[in-house]
Amino acid sequence: MKRFAAVLSLVMVVALVLPGCSSNSGSDAAEGDTIIIGTALCQTGIQAPLDEPALRGAQLAVDVLNENGGILGKQVELRAMDGKSDPVTVGNVAKQLVDEGAAAIIAPSDFDFGGPASREAQSAGIVGLSPCASSPLYSSTALGDLQFTLSMWNTTMGAVTAEYAYNERGWDTVYVITDDFIDYTKSLSRYFIARFEELGGEVIFEDTYTQGQGDVSAQLARIKALDEQPDFIYISSYQPDLALMIRTLRESGVNQPVVGGDAYDDPSLFEALGTQYGNDVYYDTHGFLSDEANPGYSDFAAAYEAKFGSEPDAVWIMPGYDAVMTIAQAMEIAGTTEGAAVAKAMEENTFELFTGALEWSDAASGHEPNKAAAMVELIDAQPQFMGWVIPEKIPAP
Amino acid sequence: MINLEFVINTLSLGSLYALLAVGLVLVYGILKLVNFAYGEYLMVAGYAIYLSAIVGAPWWATLIIAVAASMLVSFLTEIAAFRPVRTKSMDALLVTSFAVSIFLQNVVLLAVSPRARAVPLPDFFSKTVVIGGAVLPLRNLLIIATTAVVLALLSFLMKKTVLGMAMRAAADKFTTTRLMGVPANFVISAAFLISGFLAGVAGIFWVGRSGSVDPLTGAAPLLIAFIATVMGGMNSPIGAVVGGFVYGLLFNILSITLPASMISYRDAFMFAIVVLFLLFRPEGIIRRGYTEERVG
Repeated sequence: MKRFAAVLSLVMVVALVLPGCSSNSGSDAAEGDTIIIGTALCQTGIQAPLDEPALRGAQLAVDVLNENGGILGKQVELRAMDGKSDPVTVGNVAKQLVDEGAAAIIAPSDFDFGGPASREAQSAGIVGLSPCASSPLYSSTALGDLQFTLSMWNTTMGAVTAEYAYNERGWDTVYVITDDFIDYTKSLSRYFIARFEELGGEVIFEDTYTQGQGDVSAQLARIKALDEQPDFIYISSYQPDLALMIRTLRESGVNQPVVGGDAYDDPSLFEALGTQYGNDVYYDTHGFLSDEANPGYSDFAAAYEAKFGSEPDAVWIMPGYDAVMTIAQAMEIAGTTEGAAVAKAMEENTFELFTGALEWSDAASGHEPNKAAAMVELIDAQPQFMGWVIPEKIPAP
Repeated sequence: MINLEFVINTLSLGSLYALLAVGLVLVYGILKLVNFAYGEYLMVAGYAIYLSAIVGAPWWATLIIAVAASMLVSFLTEIAAFRPVRTKSMDALLVTSFAVSIFLQNVVLLAVSPRARAVPLPDFFSKTVVIGGAVLPLRNLLIIATTAVVLALLSFLMKKTVLGMAMRAAADKFTTTRLMGVPANFVISAAFLISGFLAGVAGIFWVGRSGSVDPLTGAAPLLIAFIATVMGGMNSPIGAVVGGFVYGLLFNILSITLPASMISYRDAFMFAIVVLFLLFRPEGIIRRGYTEERVG
């Protein structure tokens, strides 16, 4: 039995170590001939569902760049180190990437996890860019004048659905459930409510939920006890519990439309809801995996499939791809990899991306991203693209 | 707000928590080990359903495979990880259980995906039923019934069979039990198998509610089981069952009675109650022979 245990442990260790070897997508070119882009994205832990697809997008972008002559005539190397969903580790690996000569840093897609990487990039005088951090805290004000996020802020994300519900659908009353586990979900609800009330809508009740709680029978009881039922329900949460919340509401006879933000853009949510419950759900997100939304998507998908052996499975691949391409374009415009010049190019130009056209405000006004959101409706558990939307008015951060 | 629907939902929540807590306590009773890898056995059950459905197994087979997988992983982790350090310090066992937990999470993260995966469950699980005006999913009634059956079987096993008596004796005075000729490895393996069985059954219902599973699925049920056992009593399965129901009830009562401005502090209230328990009644609601002895 001892032998069996030893063998089993060995197999387990090998299973753990083997896939770990493939994380560096390096090239053998000597430094000086290559431009290194460092990523401190989190490949493991709670942040991995967002960051791991972004890393794949970034890897694909680097391949495409190198096939087309690289940046400024030099080959590009993507050096990926795992931030492990730990802010301290993210900062440390970013520091190491800077020491290894990274010309720019791609930071995790969240203010709490990505901020440390951007701070290291800032103190090294290079550009830091997060593919998908949507908190308005992800700004030059908080992180420094060389730091950017590619995502629309939650101000935009909340406003788009508020305007859709009130203006397009004529829904006047809402029941809001906010997941209070992270800043993202809390600030998204805040801006949604700000815009919805400004339009004239009424928030019947602001309820909370905590990720991992695993039960919504109390929220359900409160909704059912209301004298007047809300026109729709706004849920600011994310997977896996988001599926649990929507399913439980639907299973228990609460059939109002459900509205939310980019965290809904998750294939596991669509599958978990299934055709039975995957209807009357609306959200805004960063892009859509179709030619209709993004001309040129088919080529992107084909290149992705050639590299990774499967179709793109999540929209989160696109911001990773876009992040590398934005940095590349900005370096080409600036004619150098020097941080201040690249940041200036990013501030002064419009970037045509898979995740929509993007302009940043200058550093003094926070590098606020001006970006359209993709509105999506779930029909029979299939996401349907409704169009790109720029809100009429965006709440102040 | 406290109507039939709320009562049934709370009962079903309590049933699920009771199942979770009993599985944790069975191992604690014998090894005095709070098995922090316990939540991962639920996660394994979720992935077993996901994988077996991919290869086309019918729904009843996916459920059997889920429970079997959970039992197998529980059994194997005991042999591969806990047994070698069992004679060492308490701390070694505890740290090992953290290691097993992180290991299992990373295995599925690397082998499947860090993103959540949808778990297909039979349609009748989420069928909406109406009872006396209460609208709820059939699953909530199934949890209550399943828990009742499982706990009855467990009670029979513990009280009427030789194995059960050996396990109870081992939980009380392990050294004496071994001197009577009961093999330690056998009793411990049995405890882990039963613990894995309970985790598997609870896991089906746990992932059944969201219809998805991800590498970190096990964290929440572990915490719930842990708190429930602290409240109910660490030293008997009955304490765990009581703790599970009390936890579910307290949680839901707090959720609907707290005013809107206080709702976000619900967890703080919950943990404050746990702290009070630790301060004033550390042995939990159900007091029983408080033994410190563990197998060495």
